[in-house]
Amino acid sequence: MTRKENIKKGSPKKPVSRIGLLQRYAAAPHIVWSVLFVVAPLIFVLYYAFTDASGAFTTANVSAFFTEKYLLIFFRSLKLAVIATAICLLLGYPIAYFISRSKARTQKILILLLMLPMWMNFLIRTYAIMVLIQDTGIINTFLGNFGIDPIHILGTEGAVIIGMVYDYLPFMILPIYSVMAKIDNRLIEAASDLGCNGFGVLRKVILPLSKSGVISGLTMVLVPSISTFYISQKLGGVDTLMIGDVIEQQYTASNYNMTASLSLILMLILLIGLAIVNHYSDDESGGGMVL
Amino acid sequence: MKRFSKIYTALILIFLFAPIAVLIFFSFNSGSSTSSFSGFSFRWYVELFRNGEILNALKNSLILAVASSAIATVIGTSAAFGIHHMKNKHVRSGVMTATNIPMMNPEIITGISLMFLFVFVGGLLGLSTKLNFVTMLIAHVTFNLPYVILNVLPKFKQMDKSLPEAALDLGCTPIQSFFKVQLPAIMPGVFTGMIMAFTMSLDDFVISYFTSGVDFQTLPVLIYSMTKKSVKPTIYALSSIIFVIILVLLLLSNREKTSAERLEAKKKRQEKKLREAILRAQKSRRQLENKIDESYESSGGNRWRPVHKIIAGVAALALIVTLCVTVGIYSRNTVTLNVYNWGEYMSLGEEGALNVNKAFEDYCRKELGMRVKVNYVTYTSNEDLYAKLSSDAVSYDVIIPSDYMIARLASEGLLAELDFNNIPNYETCISEDFRDLYYDPENKYSVPYTYGMVGVIYNANVVSEEDIGDWDLMWNEKYSGSILQFNNARDAFGTAFYKLGLDVNTKNSADWEKGLEELRRQKPLLNKFVMDEIFNMMESGEAAIGAYYAGDYLTMVDNQSENVDLQFYYPSNTNLFVDAMCVPAASQNKELAEAYINFMLSEEPAIANAEYVCYASPHSVVYNSEQYKEDMGEDAMRILYPEDFDFHEAYDSNCFKDLDADTKKLLNSLWEDLKIN
Repeated sequence: MTRKENIKKGSPKKPVSRIGLLQRYAAAPHIVWSVLFVVAPLIFVLYYAFTDASGAFTTANVSAFFTEKYLLIFFRSLKLAVIATAICLLLGYPIAYFISRSKARTQKILILLLMLPMWMNFLIRTYAIMVLIQDTGIINTFLGNFGIDPIHILGTEGAVIIGMVYDYLPFMILPIYSVMAKIDNRLIEAASDLGCNGFGVLRKVILPLSKSGVISGLTMVLVPSISTFYISQKLGGVDTLMIGDVIEQQYTASNYNMTASLSLILMLILLIGLAIVNHYSDDESGGGMVL
Repeated sequence: MKRFSKIYTALILIFLFAPIAVLIFFSFNSGSSTSSFSGFSFRWYVELFRNGEILNALKNSLILAVASSAIATVIGTSAAFGIHHMKNKHVRSGVMTATNIPMMNPEIITGISLMFLFVFVGGLLGLSTKLNFVTMLIAHVTFNLPYVILNVLPKFKQMDKSLPEAALDLGCTPIQSFFKVQLPAIMPGVFTGMIMAFTMSLDDFVISYFTSGVDFQTLPVLIYSMTKKSVKPTIYALSSIIFVIILVLLLLSNREKTSAERLEAKKKRQEKKLREAILRAQKSRRQLENKIDESYESSGGNRWRPVHKIIAGVAALALIVTLCVTVGIYSRNTVTLNVYNWGEYMSLGEEGALNVNKAFEDYCRKELGMRVKVNYVTYTSNEDLYAKLSSDAVSYDVIIPSDYMIARLASEGLLAELDFNNIPNYETCISEDFRDLYYDPENKYSVPYTYGMVGVIYNANVVSEEDIGDWDLMWNEKYSGSILQFNNARDAFGTAFYKLGLDVNTKNSADWEKGLEELRRQKPLLNKFVMDEIFNMMESGEAAIGAYYAGDYLTMVDNQSENVDLQFYYPSNTNLFVDAMCVPAASQNKELAEAYINFMLSEEPAIANAEYVCYASPHSVVYNSEQYKEDMGEDAMRILYPEDFDFHEAYDSNCFKDLDADTKKLLNSLWEDLKIN
């Protein structure tokens, strides 16, 4: 076969249409999977939320949420989660900045160290926190050696917040870091050269450029915090019941309808919140995780 | 500034690593406490490798993580390819939204929604086991998919568009172009996605908790039921090992990455060469084809660095093991007997004791000529058991619920009538005292396993002698902040009712209101509502007063810290319970289940269980055995088997009976009111 014939024969038409076919159906298994196991289950949540135990339609489960006791729990969950998220941001933002400005090799090591705790089972980590802060725990025993009375933290809202901050802090640092690492050092230098002081550089250069990372960090901490049940179970006390606890209790009590209605409302509130946040953040991709 | 940033970074790292350091430190504790160190030893590491339950859960977790990440990687990579080429913007954003849902949604909602789907569809299909390995696999693939897609998609975007086109122009089929040109280019993303999916799956607790069935328990779910009680350092030992493995892997992969970067540069050079080659293609196509093949082969070859090869090898091996195990589980030769029991409620070979389940497997092989595998899974409350059983989500063969739950299960037709011809030991071992009890008046459904009474446990170093009396101690304002109450409606109301002298099984709603008043009065004094957390809190001295079961008090004394002196007394009226072995109506192996119950009544296993559980045994051979009395010690015998005690009579007047539906509803709503406000 001559070269020319070959080129003629290998007409672009046929392969292109075939690759079109391949491209069109490559996502099909995923779409089917998503419909079956992401969308359909949510429809079941809707179904159980609006029926009673016998399967008849009712709005009682949903309206039950808007009574004093559930609202109290919801706002407590919101309060604790927001405080924990804010602390994560305050602690995490500076360290993300410091890491992103250090040497490439140091950056790698520090990020590795930050990720390491996340690979440990989070139940065990939370349990270890409990051992650390209880009245007879290591911290208080240590303080006791200096004649300091034990600080009672375990069982309070403070303990739950500590647990959330501890478990989810890396989720705040990593997305912010991954955005900050992309900020060109020359931008910062230019800003200082043009007369910005340290605070000005932060406000006018670094903050705007790291906004997307901050937003994805906020959601990655807030969502698991507000819906947790393990942390409040282990570290909380008599008055720290959270919405996740109630959902889990209703599930254990086999009350599927109430489980569903509480889940549905929590999900809707979070989705609306996220939609608002996404609306105001222009960058759709966000910071994302780094590995 | 420099110094400040260094100190600050160090402080954050200390904050993150302090609990882990504590955990590793206490894994070497020679005592069984996780808060006071009594000496260095490898005891818990040895214990770990003897603990069949933990190792089995670890194996399950690995199987699930490998299988789900492999499936998610294949579907996700292909999906990313498809999404990248989607032209219709609306379809694309629709698919991306669906992809993001499992990431954006709280895990608890993903778990619950999947559980609804499985239970509902399983019900339609009439499956006896609605939650099993397959449903967990589906759940894990579902939450893994977004991680794969979001890691692969950017790689497609970064890829030079001309590359696949060039390949097509040069006569590659589309499939060849995908595998030879595109796949190598996106490989780093695929690899990262797979690793992330693997670790997410390995570590997942919340979603697994709601979708796990009886025949497949993963490590996080097991840890959850363990942390309800006081955690033994065994699990710390396991965590420490995992920590070290991960540390080593991360360090290795980091080195790998630096060399990977060098490789990246090399690859860029190669691509440049390739492009030049394409230009030259007009001159000689054949020549060029060879070149392309060569250059891709070499770049493909380069990607498969040794570490990747090892990991791929391990993954492949694990997949094969998965298949073998799955085939093993479902193969006909081996019968699986599903036993569902309270946590730490059966002797499983810890510290050299008899592993009764292994013994039963041996017994079946030798005496019955059957290959039996006992699949042992634990629950944390009767309500837990009921939730699983009544949803028909799983199928068990032997369960050990408490009396009132047996009555409820029997009345709902969920228990099978036992054939006592298969349980000959029952006649000889279970005395009259433990027959004809209200929950099973005709002795049709149950064989008593343990019994016991609730008493008040207190720390004598904190509580002064004159305050000890009846239930009043739990309402004593002097000890505000150190009192524990049951985290369970029935038991909590029970303490109030006994204190007030009311009937614990009353149908009178005014009485229940009185109980609530009493508990409301107590709530400001409480440290916490607890179930098995009471072990840790009493042993460490974190709390000073709490009501719990006599047998558990003995366990606490064994593990109490140095400065704690736990004592125990029975109030004048208190709850008595019997836990008994039953076979659910849905059991697939009723005869074998009966053989199992009979085996547990034979001398050796019965004593091993009674000594391990520390509760009183209704088994006449056990409580008359000299060996047993000696092993338990005089004090324990006195507490477990009080003298001149008429069990039957006390039981009839004070035990919890199953409440009718309305009272139950009232109780639950009062309980919620108490806990929430």
